[in-house]
Amino acid sequence: MLRAAYRIAWKDVVGDLRRRATLSSMLFFSLSVLVIFQAGLEPNRSEALKLMPGLLWITLLFTSLVGLGRVFQAEEEDGALEGLLLSPMPRGVIFLGKWLGNLVLTALVALLLLPLMLILLNVDAWGALHLIIGVVLLGILGLTGLGVLLAAMTQAARARETLLALLLIPLVSPLLIAAVQATNGVLGLTTEIAAWIRLMLVFDVVYLAMAPWAFGWFVED
Amino acid sequence: MNFLTARVDLIQRLLGLAALGTLLIGLGLVFTAPVDFQQGDSVRILYAHVSSAKMALLCYVALTICAIGVLWKKSEGADAAMEALAVVGACFTAVTLVTGAIWGKPMWGTWWAWDARLTSMLVLLIIYVGLVALRSSLDNPQKAAKATAVLAIIGAVDLPIIHFSVVWWRTLHQPAMFKGNGMITMAPEMRLPLAVMAIAFILMGAYMTLIKTRAIRAQRRLDALEDEALALEAESDHA
Repeated sequence: MLRAAYRIAWKDVVGDLRRRATLSSMLFFSLSVLVIFQAGLEPNRSEALKLMPGLLWITLLFTSLVGLGRVFQAEEEDGALEGLLLSPMPRGVIFLGKWLGNLVLTALVALLLLPLMLILLNVDAWGALHLIIGVVLLGILGLTGLGVLLAAMTQAARARETLLALLLIPLVSPLLIAAVQATNGVLGLTTEIAAWIRLMLVFDVVYLAMAPWAFGWFVED
Repeated sequence: MNFLTARVDLIQRLLGLAALGTLLIGLGLVFTAPVDFQQGDSVRILYAHVSSAKMALLCYVALTICAIGVLWKKSEGADAAMEALAVVGACFTAVTLVTGAIWGKPMWGTWWAWDARLTSMLVLLIIYVGLVALRSSLDNPQKAAKATAVLAIIGAVDLPIIHFSVVWWRTLHQPAMFKGNGMITMAPEMRLPLAVMAIAFILMGAYMTLIKTRAIRAQRRLDALEDEALALEAESDHA
């Protein structure tokens, strides 16, 4: 069963890498967000360190919206979602597959973005890079979990990209708060880390447990 | 179409009259209640503010129950009530935010502060608006009902996490600006007007929800009839 989820994810990731569609647009979108931040805020070195956690998560949130807008694009264009739904596997597994595919792409973008961000913003946090990566991975688990679910629900809607942002941003706000605070802690700006990591874990577990069921409810006829 | 019968009409009218009556009594009590020793007359807005804040949350509870009705029983009535409650809840949340800002300006010297309560209320407003937007932007009515119900339940799970995270976030760095806004140590003379206002707001919310639900159901029936008429027309053109 998990093999089926893995196959769906594999199809999405490989398909995307061959067409270089989502991955490259997410990456360049995140780069342009960085440029805008730099131009809009013009931080000096100490300000840049203080701003970095917030900027990192705003960039990741917006970038993941770009990716989420396309999660079900292939399925919609060729009517392939019906095909997937007709296949003899639980709906939850289909969700897991789509989520895993999106997670891999988002994680790839985040891993490429992080060093670029440190270089471009002139932040010296190389020593804490592995910890930041840990927090980022923990954060995008829940972000993509909720995101893929909402993408499935808004896929047939009018103005779906706007709607997706309108729905995702308030619901994901606790994760974003916790992630920014945890990143602050990792960078040594605050001392409180464990509590925020716990909150991120709660969010991840709640959403990843709930999303497959919610997806199943939504797609059943 | 039992929802458009004379009996529902009567219930609606009685509910409206009850809401109006209680509201008038409540306002009378509010304006004869003693002024607060520190806050002066501006304390009177709190009676409306607290009542609408309670309604903003109560509407979400009712909305979640309707969402369960939609997912479990596939009830069309619950679907219409869900949309109505989202609109009414958004109104109460907006009233809460606006009255809070009007009270905050003379009391705190600022319209807005990123306090835990204010922040979670603002997020609640966005979630209500998101529910209304999602319901109206899907063409297939069954899918729209289901998507909105699923989103409402996600929101119901998320709201405590949002509240908890925001409280944590805003109290970790600085002490909360105000705790329990003094209502726990409220003078007994202020309790009666607040209770009456709260009942008036509950009746008002029920009345608004009933009207809106009936309007939504009528609109949906009209849309269905229109579609049917168009289909018939196309058929006769064809023949």
